[in-house]
Amino acid sequence: MAIKDLTTSTSRRPFQRRRKTCPFTGPNAPKIDYKDVRLLQRYVSERGKIVPSRISAVSALKQRVLAQAIKRARFIGLMPYAVS
Amino acid sequence: MPLYEHIYLARQDVSPQQVEEMTNAMTETLTQGGGKVTKNEYWGLKSLSFRIKKNRKAHYSLLNIDAPAPAVAEMERQMRINEDILRFMTVRVDELEEGPSAMMQKRDRDDERSDRPGGRPDRGGFDRGPRPPRRF
Repeated sequence: MAIKDLTTSTSRRPFQRRRKTCPFTGPNAPKIDYKDVRLLQRYVSERGKIVPSRISAVSALKQRVLAQAIKRARFIGLMPYAVS
Repeated sequence: MPLYEHIYLARQDVSPQQVEEMTNAMTETLTQGGGKVTKNEYWGLKSLSFRIKKNRKAHYSLLNIDAPAPAVAEMERQMRINEDILRFMTVRVDELEEGPSAMMQKRDRDDERSDRPGGRPDRGGFDRGPRPPRRF
């Protein structure tokens, strides 16, 4: 995985943004589990909404699995639907 | 036989012993239906993120079930009748987890996390270097 420095400093762009990779892909990626609230908590906003994958860099496949897990955790009262 | 994870929430003013009895009763119905319970975890009285049937707290229990669908359906029917049970969820899984679930290992993982150098791998550990000059 070549991730760093897609835009090198020699180019004219003032900012280089490292391309983020999916946190659930790779050898020691955590397993998405609806019981693991601590893990899921990182992928919801302060208001309790699910963070879009373009921000959290979760792959589309894992985002679907993650959303399902968050919704299950909400149903059994482990996570809030909305924080007022 | 299909494998299920089953979580149920019991009312807060029920004693842990009563929760255990309920679990035993459920296990009984499942075994009568030809299934078995491979793991039984009691998470204790936990506070809910929101009120469920006017309760702020609930006793959580997790069961790993290996049983035919009719047995599970019968157990669910009895859970619906029981007023001490606030909510339950049965999820079909491809394989059952061995050992304690994520909820039970929380404490251990806290220690593990503090040992890890540089915090989270994709955030704190990465050095972005000096900030490039601003344009505007």
